[in-house]
Amino acid sequence: MKLLTHNMLTSHVKGVTKGYPLIIKATEVKVNELEFNSQFVSRMIPKLEWGALIQAAEWLGQSQDLPSTLIPDYEKDEEFLRKVHRILLEVEVIEGSLQCPESGREFPISKGVPNMLLNEGE
Amino acid sequence: MDEAASQLERDHVHSVYERIAPYFNDSRYKAWPKVKQFLLEQEPGSIVADVGCGDGKYLHINEDIFKLGCDVCRPLVDSAWSRGHEVQLCDGLRLPYRDDCFDAVLSIAVIHHMSTKERRIRAIKEMARTLRVGGRIMIYVWAMEQKRRKFEKQDIFVPWNPNPPLSPALRQRGKGSQSISDGTTSNNKHRKVKSTSSMVDEGDSVGPSKQKQQRFWFFSRSLDSVLDFTSLTMSRSSSNTIQTPVNEAKESRSRRTSSRGLIRQMSSLFSSSSRTSLEEDVFISDPNDQVHKNNNRSSGNGNETSPVELVHDCSSVPLPDLVSYQRDQSTLEGHVEVDGKSSLKEPLQRQDSTVSLLESGELKGKSSEQLKDSCLRYYHVFREGELTQLIQNHVDELHVLHSYLDHANWYVVAEKVQVWKV
Repeated sequence: MKLLTHNMLTSHVKGVTKGYPLIIKATEVKVNELEFNSQFVSRMIPKLEWGALIQAAEWLGQSQDLPSTLIPDYEKDEEFLRKVHRILLEVEVIEGSLQCPESGREFPISKGVPNMLLNEGE
Repeated sequence: MDEAASQLERDHVHSVYERIAPYFNDSRYKAWPKVKQFLLEQEPGSIVADVGCGDGKYLHINEDIFKLGCDVCRPLVDSAWSRGHEVQLCDGLRLPYRDDCFDAVLSIAVIHHMSTKERRIRAIKEMARTLRVGGRIMIYVWAMEQKRRKFEKQDIFVPWNPNPPLSPALRQRGKGSQSISDGTTSNNKHRKVKSTSSMVDEGDSVGPSKQKQQRFWFFSRSLDSVLDFTSLTMSRSSSNTIQTPVNEAKESRSRRTSSRGLIRQMSSLFSSSSRTSLEEDVFISDPNDQVHKNNNRSSGNGNETSPVELVHDCSSVPLPDLVSYQRDQSTLEGHVEVDGKSSLKEPLQRQDSTVSLLESGELKGKSSEQLKDSCLRYYHVFREGELTQLIQNHVDELHVLHSYLDHANWYVVAEKVQVWKV
């Protein structure tokens, strides 16, 4: 699971109103180098919940001093975009779990795939 | 009702895909052109979700957008991940994504597996929730209106069937259909089969001995109108003969009627099984074309194909397109009684190898009965306009832009609009 995906994921347990962001508990994290595309990253940024991304990166020890609020004119800051590229696309949680911040329900991540299936009545 | 619907989908959609997952590789097939086009049209930097992604057939298209896929079937999702795709395991009615986060959503051949109207609406609403205002969703569902197939009911069970065998040469990508012809005898025979198994021939009636040649079974029933449909489950049959459909039909005259046409329907499918379409398209656009190409091994006389070969070829079954299904003689007899009159006059010849497959015990330790029982997939086939109306009448936040028949499927492209609630 990439952190870009994590940015989209939310707890969907019945009755939960503050299920975002899911807390990452990683036991295995990988960094896969991917080609950097500054345009792709800068177009992606406005679609993100920035705070959740930085939080996620911190949980994995990957925040690289990225600011907790988005900087202006980031499109022109290649160093910044490269860091964002890294946490968005290169860092991957392979094993671990995602925890709903409100209900505490944990969703296992195994072989890179979060299992977000709920049980009956959940 | 919803619980029963959910159970039915577990038994006849989810578990079927889990069982057949090892044998098919959907990503081998060429992407459906309109879906590919839809993905290519997305702006660079878009975030797109493929809900019901299977093994990730569409997740490689367009490098300039970020795609994630989800599915309820673990083996398929794992398979997608192993090819480098970003995927999650989840239920289409309970998507684990935040509101308004996707620029586009794909729903290819998914909604037709939902067994009630209410659930189909919920599935669409749930996807619409994750779409941003201005974002677009593409939905494909199987059409009731098909050139090659006539359905008498919209709610049907479709057996999953390993495709007929390919010659080793054919299995390689890019090899043409020329390699499949193995004799004019079988060719002629096949055509004969084809001609006698044409789809709708209401006046047709044959005697019991002829009926025994019928090698298909298939039935349908409206799930929305019948509450106790869990009784339809076709498992529990311990012998080679599938008892359940027979008994079911004896109970219900209306079902008997529907099964008749569907059996004919299935028989016609058989003769134009999609062998050469394997590398071309999941959709088979031209039935005649298919029939002419696929003329070889349907004849039992010339068919020396081993079960092992068939097993290998299971991986190339084009899902979710309908595939033919064959039953051994004993199964047939049971169903023919249900049928009362069958339009099939000629034996369909491919059955031996298929049955061998089913009974070969190679399928991951599943007994043949288990496999047969577990491979009936539930579909709700959509009538013209039905998908559009479903959205227009029940999903306020989507505005339908286009609706077309693409091969054997209806598809809709809709845009999410701002809904002002008073």
